[in-house]
Amino acid sequence: MPKLILKFDDRDLSECAVGTHPITIGRLPDNNLVIDNPAVSGRHARVYREGNHYVLEDLKSTNGTFVNDKPIARHTLLEGDVILVGKHTVVFTQQGGEQVEPPKEEQFVPEIGGTRMLDTQKQKDLLGNLDRGRPAQVYDAVVPKTAIPTAHGRIGHIKVVSGDTGQSEYVLSAVTTMIGKADTAQIRLRGWFKPKVAAAIARKGEGFTITPMGGKLAVNGEKVTSRRDLASGDLIEVSGITLEFTLS
Amino acid sequence: MRFKVGAATSVGQVRPINEDAFLVEEDRALFVVCDGMGGAAAGEVASLLAIQTIGAYARDGAIGNGTHRGFQPRTAGLGRAVEEANRAIIQRAQQDSANAGMGTTVVAIWIGEGLASIAHVGDSRLYVRHAYGFEALTSDHSLVEAQVQAGLIDREQSLKSEHQNILLRALGREPDVEVELGEATLAVGDRLLLCTDGLTRTVTDEGLAAALDRFVGDPQGACDHLIAAANDNGGPDNVTAVVVEVQGSRLSSLFKRS
Repeated sequence: MPKLILKFDDRDLSECAVGTHPITIGRLPDNNLVIDNPAVSGRHARVYREGNHYVLEDLKSTNGTFVNDKPIARHTLLEGDVILVGKHTVVFTQQGGEQVEPPKEEQFVPEIGGTRMLDTQKQKDLLGNLDRGRPAQVYDAVVPKTAIPTAHGRIGHIKVVSGDTGQSEYVLSAVTTMIGKADTAQIRLRGWFKPKVAAAIARKGEGFTITPMGGKLAVNGEKVTSRRDLASGDLIEVSGITLEFTLS
Repeated sequence: MRFKVGAATSVGQVRPINEDAFLVEEDRALFVVCDGMGGAAAGEVASLLAIQTIGAYARDGAIGNGTHRGFQPRTAGLGRAVEEANRAIIQRAQQDSANAGMGTTVVAIWIGEGLASIAHVGDSRLYVRHAYGFEALTSDHSLVEAQVQAGLIDREQSLKSEHQNILLRALGREPDVEVELGEATLAVGDRLLLCTDGLTRTVTDEGLAAALDRFVGDPQGACDHLIAAANDNGGPDNVTAVVVEVQGSRLSSLFKRS
């Protein structure tokens, strides 16, 4: 286990092992490493474990904490680092004892909080065969430029019933299909007074939804003011054109 | 489409440093929130590098014509920007051993033509408050979320799980990180919330929605309120919130085209 060796004028005064619990350094007697000197703050600094490293943190002490003569607020300790607290020095060493013990089972949940990334093996251990139980990700196994089936494997189509979009039928191959005059619109409206984006059809899990976005929108003759689900056979009227939606 | 934007971040009540970072570029309608991780301030380096790289990469020139798995070119471009950030972080970590093992989450939106392109990795989240409801537009790449999806635990248990901070994906960990993409249509009045887990672990979804409703027209007020709420609830982690309120163009308030 690594340890902190308290020194004054090259004399070893005391030692303190650093384990999984944080070590506090300061003047007050309830610190793990007590330095009884007026230049030392009551709670001056602490050392704690983070993953396989130990971190020294100054606790906003009056006179500061120095490592190898540089002031630090927070510092990852390396073998032989010399910490200066007031007039005393504290040496961090992992030698003379066993090495840092390998992380324990619960180590991936760090004591000092902090988000952790799981390595792939640990992930597999924890999740087991979980992936198999999960519904297939819709976006996976999709060949670009082909229609993306919904979660139920169905494909959306649009037939132009009236109006001119330059195409009579569309396969809803995009995650979001825009209807409008904009370059990004797949169902392209023509004419001066058409909106850039009139409405958008989005694939949502099991089906499709339509959202008005600047054009007047009705589905089956009913005015639509916010997102609604589409059913096969729905008639969509938007900005002067009529479209029929089908799922197959 | 114009936006009114608020943003706030706080170190919280426990952590020594703030490793969150955010990017707000109203002109380009690009908004990013990152939650860095890694010892000795390396997380700070990773989150900053991520927003800088995404900001530099996500230019209109990066949109291109290519769609990706059915997503709009802008969405595909944003996805590439996030992949670029991943490469930048890995490269930096290799150059400097002090930054080894650093990583970050990311949630980014880039809005154009009424459509928000979404890219995310990790457990930073995007929510939207529509006229017709409040919904999460991202789902966490975390162990507990995977357990919920698999039916091993329910949502309530997930909120108490000791594994809440275990991510399954993060930038800076693997060269070929899988960036999850999404798209959401936006309407005038919609409010988007990008945030780190320091917020979502201290304020419930209901609380988030209530704050967005209370501060309509004042996204900065919403952010300040949410950050204060997180800190009132212990502030166990760094916390960041960016709120984007969608406003009509100046013209659209004068007449509506059909």
